[in-house]
Amino acid sequence: MKRRIAGSGIAALAALALGQPTCLPFGNHTEAARPAASTTLAPAPDPFATFEANASASVDPAPAGHGAPVVIQHATVMTATGRKFASGFVAMEDGLITSIGEGDGPPPKPGSTVVVDGRGKFVTPGIIDPHSHIGVYPVPDTAAHDDGNEMTDPVTAGVRAEHSFWPQDPAIERAVAGGVTTIAVLPGSGNLIGGRGIVMHLTPQRGARAMRFPGAPELLKMACGENPKRVYKEQKRSPTTRMGSLRTLREAFLRAQKYARDLAEWTRKSQEAASAPPKKQDDKSGNDPPKPPDRDLSLETLALVMRGDILVQWHCYQADDMLAALQVADEFGFKVRAFHHALEAYKIRDVLSRKRVAIATWDDWWGFKMEAYDGIPENLALLTEAGVRASLHSDSPIAIQFLNQAAGKALAAGRAAGVELDEEDALRWLTANPAWLLGIDEQVGTLEVGKRADVVVWSDNPLSTYARAEMVYVDGQLVFDRAHVGAPWSDFELGVRAMPPKGKTK
Amino acid sequence: MKSLSLAIVALGLAGTEVALADDLPTVAIVHGRVYVPGDHPPLADATVVLANGKVQAVGPDIPVPAGARVVDARGKTVTPGFIDADTDVGAIDVEMESPTNDTNVRGLMNPALRMIDGYNPRSALIPIARAGGVTSVVVAPRSGVLAGQAAFVDLAGETVAAALVRPALAQYAHLDEETAEASAGTRSGLWLLVREALEDARFYATHKAQYDANGTRPLSLRRAGLEALLPVLRGEQPFVVTAHRASDIESALRLADELKLKLVLEGASEAWMVADDLARRKVPVVIDPLEDLPEHFDRLHARSDNAALLERAGVIVIIATFSAHQCRLLWQHAGNAVRLGMDHDAAIRAVTEAPAAAFGLKGYGVLEPGAVANVVVWTGDPLQTSTHAEHVFVRGREQSLETRQTLLLERYRTLPVSRDGSR
Repeated sequence: MKRRIAGSGIAALAALALGQPTCLPFGNHTEAARPAASTTLAPAPDPFATFEANASASVDPAPAGHGAPVVIQHATVMTATGRKFASGFVAMEDGLITSIGEGDGPPPKPGSTVVVDGRGKFVTPGIIDPHSHIGVYPVPDTAAHDDGNEMTDPVTAGVRAEHSFWPQDPAIERAVAGGVTTIAVLPGSGNLIGGRGIVMHLTPQRGARAMRFPGAPELLKMACGENPKRVYKEQKRSPTTRMGSLRTLREAFLRAQKYARDLAEWTRKSQEAASAPPKKQDDKSGNDPPKPPDRDLSLETLALVMRGDILVQWHCYQADDMLAALQVADEFGFKVRAFHHALEAYKIRDVLSRKRVAIATWDDWWGFKMEAYDGIPENLALLTEAGVRASLHSDSPIAIQFLNQAAGKALAAGRAAGVELDEEDALRWLTANPAWLLGIDEQVGTLEVGKRADVVVWSDNPLSTYARAEMVYVDGQLVFDRAHVGAPWSDFELGVRAMPPKGKTK
Repeated sequence: MKSLSLAIVALGLAGTEVALADDLPTVAIVHGRVYVPGDHPPLADATVVLANGKVQAVGPDIPVPAGARVVDARGKTVTPGFIDADTDVGAIDVEMESPTNDTNVRGLMNPALRMIDGYNPRSALIPIARAGGVTSVVVAPRSGVLAGQAAFVDLAGETVAAALVRPALAQYAHLDEETAEASAGTRSGLWLLVREALEDARFYATHKAQYDANGTRPLSLRRAGLEALLPVLRGEQPFVVTAHRASDIESALRLADELKLKLVLEGASEAWMVADDLARRKVPVVIDPLEDLPEHFDRLHARSDNAALLERAGVIVIIATFSAHQCRLLWQHAGNAVRLGMDHDAAIRAVTEAPAAAFGLKGYGVLEPGAVANVVVWTGDPLQTSTHAEHVFVRGREQSLETRQTLLLERYRTLPVSRDGSR
């Protein structure tokens, strides 16, 4: 995903990223687009890149600064790469992991390095939850903040969860207290295509964009099965059936194909016009630049999906629904990055493995609706055995607080079923695999030199019921310290808050 | 939690006699780490003998009776079967398929409703809950202001009669923000409904003859409802109130004082703020330690160590799942109370002894001679992620741990699926 492109202006769209090399994926808040100084350049060879760069500019970027160097020593270090250090260290500086291994690590810089005594503790990468609605369905549950599902049309590919996200959601800090450092915030599943999701780094900020995970790809939330047809049946509109859903979905992608063709055609003609010999000042004859097609945010998103620039995260429970979804993906030539929930994924794990589709699911949720009736606790284990990249997700501001226990439970269920798994496999369900699923695996998900210092110090083996996240680092900065819980992150909780628990617990 | 009040046990309602089969083999569970009642630490290496559906003996030096089946529990933990004090097991198959969901009754005032009338002992959820070490449950009503009467059942038996322990365990009232909104629209309106109903029932108790002769003023409930509230007013049947905000809990305490009700609190996110009051009055509190979010304005002070704070203040803490499909995870709910500071053994009591005592269920939740032989042998610490229930006995009979889910696993353990077998 690390292709670099040159963003340049489009004559018809005045304010553009000019001469600013923009890193794809588009959302890098440290390389925000700037309004163009001039609009006279040739149209971009890739108008989509310009659209995306403009849409991800930030008026309030995250502040820089990574604090003092830190070394955590004498801890059990679980790296999620398969390597484990029984009495190891993790050193971090300038937001990155600088060294890791057995022993004490590099000598601390006097007066500068913070030394953390990790005796009896466990250290892991920060947990990544690839499916959350924190901020878009915040707590308290109020009509005023019911912002997760734009249920006015079954295809709302143009909406962005980022634009609903309430950064004051008290659930954010509680997730961090559960050892979570990164989440994907997705629109709900009321629509077939719910809109764009966003990868968030969990630090207290004033606006959603400052929380964007730097360089993370764009996500698209899609949904199949019961939810969309229930929502639109209640509204007495299509789709009310699975076949209606598939029809609506395919028609949306057909429109997006046409939109992409029209845009490509316009780009070609514009470039031809621009490269034509310059007209004399007073020449009023034809040869005006061609008119661009009207922009359509929904079709733009789908066109980018078909180009492979947006990662599809598809809510789908039943095996047959997932197979039907994969047929649509093949028909329109796009990849499904992951099915979410996917309680019947174990039934088609051979297909998922062959097609390299990842899974994000719970440890043992089941039965709350028909399409969840065949969920089994061995799902994650069977998928892992079959070579499918499987992740845990929460989909819940409660469950996100103990995803580590979910990994412990799924490991136990798998082992009881005779699947050969180790603790590193279970840790990867929480870190490395969701990092890949969100396209940020080069930056986080394992404890390795050069990766972002998203690190959790646990009181106990993180797969235990009793493990508490004691210290949580994001980009090398201590954002949660159970022994010194300060003022709440959320303005909402000023004066009322009593969480997370202070002081020592047994 | 330091001393469970036996007085509560003595107040128990007359229960349905537990029917016992006489073909039961005697079982001796040997060398286990055994949880015994009271404030004792578990016995390190003890034997539990089950005979005729009852616990016959518990202790370190108990001889194995001749002919008994021996279960070796070395390195394992033996507890009373867990009791989920609030669940929908047996009342729901698929939550979102309304016809299969017998929890959402229409109407607000249904004190005569009995959950037992909708209980299905053959539900696919029951073996799953049981495989999680839960052997008895309180099937609680979910909707309305005066929601009706919970059933207490054992998770075994092919018929309702076989599973039933108490058809009318307790009366449930929902006095929280959500119910206020769904009923009268305000808290005061909600309390007006409740007070009026209880007042009318009290009036009815002393005017039955006139009522039957149509000689009384109109009453807010129909006859069955009035009758159903009489055991509550006599202080015999627990009155289980769901309330979260500390001030709502205070209102419930005032009502209980005034009418001398046997109050049990549920939900109770802000109970820690009135912990001393609850401890002094010995009001048991049924909570879910996983519910720590300020999900509504009536629980802005919710916190994850509610259980620990209540326990430390001396409140009787009961832990429940409030769930049907995940009733099997009662151990995890208890484990999280421990994670955030509750005493481990107190958390075990919160899913065994404490609910039994609060609801007057003599012989439940304890391993002692004469107790109902609901017993679980766990592979380790029952509250740990890596542990599972290895043997589950209900009324002395070992239960199969096969569930619809184990059958799915078996079918899909290897692909492609073969359907040649008998299943």
